Amino acid sequence: MTRRVLLHVGTPKTGTSHFQDVLFRNQRILRKQGVLYPAERFDAHFLAALDLMQLPWGGLEDEAVGAWDALAEKVRHFHDRHPDGTAIISHEILAIASRAQAERAMASLGHPDTEIHVVLSVRDLVRQIPAEWQENVKHRRELPYGKFLAQVRDPERATPIGSWFWGVQEVPDILDRWAAGLPAERVHLVTVPRPGSPPDLLWQRFSTTFGLDDLELDVEAERANPSLGVPETTVVRRINVKANKVVPPADYRPLVRELLAHQTLSRRRRSPRLNLPPADHAWVAPLQQSWIDTVRDRGYDVCGDLDDLVGDPPPADWADPDHPDEAQVADAAIDAIRALLVDNARLMHVEHDLHERVGHLERELEKAYLRPTYRWREKTVRRLQASRVGRLALRGYRFARGRSSRSA
Amino acid sequence: MNRRAWGWVAHLTDGGTTPWADWSGEAEPCAEVVPGAQQLELLRRLNLAGGVGAELATTVVASDPPRRSRPSLPLVGGGDVPDHGPRPVDPADVPDGELARLASVLLAQRLASTTLEPAPEVLRPRVWRTRYHLRGDPEVVVPLRRHLVADGRPPGGRHPRVVIVGTDTGQLLVDLWTAQSLRHGAPPWHEWLAATVRQGRLPEQVDLPRLARRELDAGVDRRAVHVVTDPALAAGLLGVRRLPDRPVLSAAAADLGRRVASALRPMARPPRRARLTTEVLRPWLETDDGPALVVPPRHREWVTGRAEHMVGELTRGRYRVHGDPALVRPTERPADNPGVGAAASSRTLALAVRLLLGTPRDES
Repeated sequence: MTRRVLLHVGTPKTGTSHFQDVLFRNQRILRKQGVLYPAERFDAHFLAALDLMQLPWGGLEDEAVGAWDALAEKVRHFHDRHPDGTAIISHEILAIASRAQAERAMASLGHPDTEIHVVLSVRDLVRQIPAEWQENVKHRRELPYGKFLAQVRDPERATPIGSWFWGVQEVPDILDRWAAGLPAERVHLVTVPRPGSPPDLLWQRFSTTFGLDDLELDVEAERANPSLGVPETTVVRRINVKANKVVPPADYRPLVRELLAHQTLSRRRRSPRLNLPPADHAWVAPLQQSWIDTVRDRGYDVCGDLDDLVGDPPPADWADPDHPDEAQVADAAIDAIRALLVDNARLMHVEHDLHERVGHLERELEKAYLRPTYRWREKTVRRLQASRVGRLALRGYRFARGRSSRSA
Repeated sequence: MNRRAWGWVAHLTDGGTTPWADWSGEAEPCAEVVPGAQQLELLRRLNLAGGVGAELATTVVASDPPRRSRPSLPLVGGGDVPDHGPRPVDPADVPDGELARLASVLLAQRLASTTLEPAPEVLRPRVWRTRYHLRGDPEVVVPLRRHLVADGRPPGGRHPRVVIVGTDTGQLLVDLWTAQSLRHGAPPWHEWLAATVRQGRLPEQVDLPRLARRELDAGVDRRAVHVVTDPALAAGLLGVRRLPDRPVLSAAAADLGRRVASALRPMARPPRRARLTTEVLRPWLETDDGPALVVPPRHREWVTGRAEHMVGELTRGRYRVHGDPALVRPTERPADNPGVGAAASSRTLALAVRLLLGTPRDES
């Protein structure tokens, strides 16, 4: 009997949201097959990851205190009852964990008595670099693409942007931290298929790696992290510049990230796509090749093809998000305004309905107050409260009635 | 080569202070990976400042820099380094700010493991007390409210008077930033102030006329709204003889508090964090008597302009103003204690090192 934990530690922008959503929605089916995905909410493992790495995250860390230990406890408890069961933990920001944090995580999950497998889903840097900038923009960042790229290129990695980018994207370094103590056959890489591949190919690779092929799962995408084009990303970045100071993070998430970026602007598919600048292919290509060589030499299990990590050549007509076509930006902005108007109208109707309900309740309450018996009781209580004897009588009555409330 | 790095680790954990560049001794490896340059340089600074016990040395060496900054960096010349991962550095080149950040994490861990005394007993509410609400300068009103509650004078009640506490506008801004920094961390003072100036108006929490107007708009009687431009005047309005002492944090202490409070966030839930900050961290920070934080010269004109605007509004306001409205104008600091417009990372680090070592003020 083998207790197993499949620990999916990254990387961001590799279809992780969809994968986690499928696991979350199919927890019961998985459980019947001896697979635990312990989560009461879809982002449960995100909070656990924040806790493990003591990572501030715009106030969400307040909810995360103790979350990793709670998650690990669930896994250990599950294995106590199902010694041959498999538990899955998945969150892409685990990629940034230090070696000590990774060791602590594995120990808390029962390593070395439990068979831990580390899974890393990976995508070529040609797509990851622009995707990370876009993710930054969707998290309120205001910096232009050029400045982001300069910080990513800086070998010192001294800025938060550079430090974070390489922390979650440098595949060999992530594996040094997470897989140093594991045999190669327990380290699995899932490569994101090249552009133009069948849409379900990535899911098939996840499914194979996590041993889910024989299960009937609902894999419909309900929660994904869709990408934006150049003008759409520009609109969001300009909104950040103007609105960050007046829109608190808790409001930004539903309004800008969800309503505007995910539900509105990501549906515009005909605008120029965000790409790596042609000049940056020169340093990205050899770096990517060195990663492929390192990973191949280590003999890890690869689901997919390491050559998927070789990025496509630069497009003939590259669109610069720092100097976008203003007509396209205006067009995207109009779509954003339209979405806000529609949502505002919906909220106005909700408000109107609520006003009507409150008015109705107030009228009902008024009627109740106007009943002669109510007015008589109110008058009696007022009179009794005016004298000491009356107050004593009232207290006696309430005691006999069995209520401590002092209301009439 | 790796043996040289391990030799330096052993030297530092034994209390050594030799810089990495001058080190040539060797030792057997103790683990798979050599601790990072930041941890080792911080340990060397701690050794330079006084004796470090074995427990603290082990904690420093095993610590992790916060994950929003650079990860543990390899030592330049400290052994084979792979092609990937962060580039090696000379520990002497690690900026003081980065060391202060690591020291803040260690202080936050120490705070988080602190056992708090049972919450102090609160007197039953007095029958004959002044009903009040407090607004304004958070560095005055928050401790004042706590003091009043402990004394049986909780806020609220029937027909409370609203006391809005103000002072020199520059100090109001410093106080607001300090309070926010200690509550949950904040951007550095210069960044926060620059963002405030870009906004073009004072934050509502310290905009005295705006606070007063908000009360009037909420239906509070104008005779119940009191603005005081000198905090000492609040005592009489609240029915107490005097206000509790109000220690002002030095620039380095406020900056360190900001860093520690930020590192503490993922370690303790808000109610416990609030108590740890108030009851443990603040007394630590108050032991520093360095120069106070002030508005830097480049923003003084803007602050003076906003203060003038407040003076005009307070003079015309339909509420009571106690004290001269002109007291909200920024005052000149004494020549022998002019304050600083930004905390120097070196001073923040020095304070963090002193607190980690538990050295009292007079020995620092």
